[in-house]
Amino acid sequence: MYGGDEVSAIVIDLGSHTCKAGYAGEDAPKAVFPSVVGSIDQMEVDDAANTDTNSGAAMEAKSNAKTPDSDKNKGKRKLFVGSQALGYRRDQMEVVSPFKDGIVADWDIVDNIWDHAFRECLLIDPTEHPMLLAEPSSNPQQQRERAAELMFEKYKVPALFLAKNAVLTSFASGRATSLVVDCGGGSTTIAPVHDGYVLQKAVATSPIGGEFLTDCLLKSLESKGIKIKPRYSFKRKEVRPGDFQPFDLDFPSTTESYRLYSQRVIASDIKDSVCRAPDSPYDESAYANIPMTPYELPDGQTIEIGSDRFKVPDVLFNPPLAQTIPGMESFSEFALSARGLSQMVIESINKCDVDIRRELFSSILLAGGTASMQQLKERLEKDLLEESPQAARVKVLASGNTTERRFSVWIGGSILASLGSFQQMWFSKTEYEEHGASYVQRKCP
Amino acid sequence: MANAASGMAVNDECKLKFMELKAKRIYRFIIFKIENQQVVVEKVGSPEETYEDFTASFPADECRYSVFDFDFITDENCQKSKIFFIAWAPDTAKIRSKMVYASSKDRFKRELDGIQVELQATDPSEMSLDIIKSRAL
Repeated sequence: MYGGDEVSAIVIDLGSHTCKAGYAGEDAPKAVFPSVVGSIDQMEVDDAANTDTNSGAAMEAKSNAKTPDSDKNKGKRKLFVGSQALGYRRDQMEVVSPFKDGIVADWDIVDNIWDHAFRECLLIDPTEHPMLLAEPSSNPQQQRERAAELMFEKYKVPALFLAKNAVLTSFASGRATSLVVDCGGGSTTIAPVHDGYVLQKAVATSPIGGEFLTDCLLKSLESKGIKIKPRYSFKRKEVRPGDFQPFDLDFPSTTESYRLYSQRVIASDIKDSVCRAPDSPYDESAYANIPMTPYELPDGQTIEIGSDRFKVPDVLFNPPLAQTIPGMESFSEFALSARGLSQMVIESINKCDVDIRRELFSSILLAGGTASMQQLKERLEKDLLEESPQAARVKVLASGNTTERRFSVWIGGSILASLGSFQQMWFSKTEYEEHGASYVQRKCP
Repeated sequence: MANAASGMAVNDECKLKFMELKAKRIYRFIIFKIENQQVVVEKVGSPEETYEDFTASFPADECRYSVFDFDFITDENCQKSKIFFIAWAPDTAKIRSKMVYASSKDRFKRELDGIQVELQATDPSEMSLDIIKSRAL
């Protein structure tokens, strides 16, 4: 048992797109920053350092460099974490993600993200605070043990807890049983929760999340001749008082992944400001004459967005629609195999026990970053009413508060970790030392 | 044990009152609330009280647990009764209250041996008498 409820716990929800970190008991995460990081290969630099290792001065310089910063050079690369570090363009900097297919593939990046959250955002000493980590609903055992090892061995945390995303969202809405539809950045996950257990067999995932929609919008605009200039590629200068003109800057050493990252930042904002799920399946001819909506790009040019406002969100419901967007053909394979949102919901419910299907249909919880898309909840409810069995009473719920909708996982964790009664539930350092990392399965089932 | 359970304790009186409702049938319903890190009995209703009296006992913007002993007549004209467990979590309740009640429910329910039907309600329409009847049959 861990008895230290004097210091507040730290809650981290590392999503595929954004990392949310903050102090337990607060209403919203203090730090919200990208889950992708910038990476520059350090090959040449290291080689140079190796050539003069025989000089004593260099040896000393190297040992002095054993600050947290030197950890970032692991694997002969330097990582840049956080919105600010990523916002600054650097030659040869690639943008990389720690995830592959929704699970962590590169623990070194995760380590750096945690480190950034603790030391640069929250300014805490991890050895003093219990950590609650939100994890994907079907996180494999090996991944959970790896997380426990890293937390206890490297950060020497006093206690740890791994809570499942879907369970936290379900509890935060007051329900122990529900179907959680998590429309995240990198993927969409449907997870039935029954009495606080995730019904693993019925969990469904699709790679279509907010980022896929952003890419659809980006490509569709490009096909219409609209070029989104990354923020680093121009400077606005005052040619006459009050009159600013953009001047292109040339950085030939910028990587393709960084250029795309910078364009996505802008496209994602366009998506958030103008896109809206159509009331019924998207139909090219019906939307051909809808009024255009203006949007001002960072370089000052104003663009007009028409049918894309509705077409892009409809990809969530009808993935093959993405194929009609020029430039998205490369995704055709998975767009064809991916199922629409309402279809996934129904399939997932049908995989559950007959006795709880009715209850799941009436407690569908919409959460995640993309859940804030206008009219998404209404459209999902409408489609489900049409496609579900007659007797089912369909109800889609989403918090009216956008912060609660977007951060439901983090907020659930924040409340849980701050409860006095929860202090006996932590997986403590002593237990870890006694039983090893595999004990995480017992403590955090 | 459910993932992310709160670890909330259950006061002995909860079990005691529930046994009295089940075996002696001296209460129509019991309302439970969470106070000082444990589940306690907030209110009991005598057997004469109706379903309306029961639903009127829920606060509009706070969560509660409750059990209700429902008497009904089956299609074959047979007098029966069933014990309902209802988790009340109104939309207007604070997110903290929702989280606390939902994460403590599994543990609490295990203490009450003999629940036959379970419901979760976020507004009165989800626990209307019609729904109770349809679930009882």
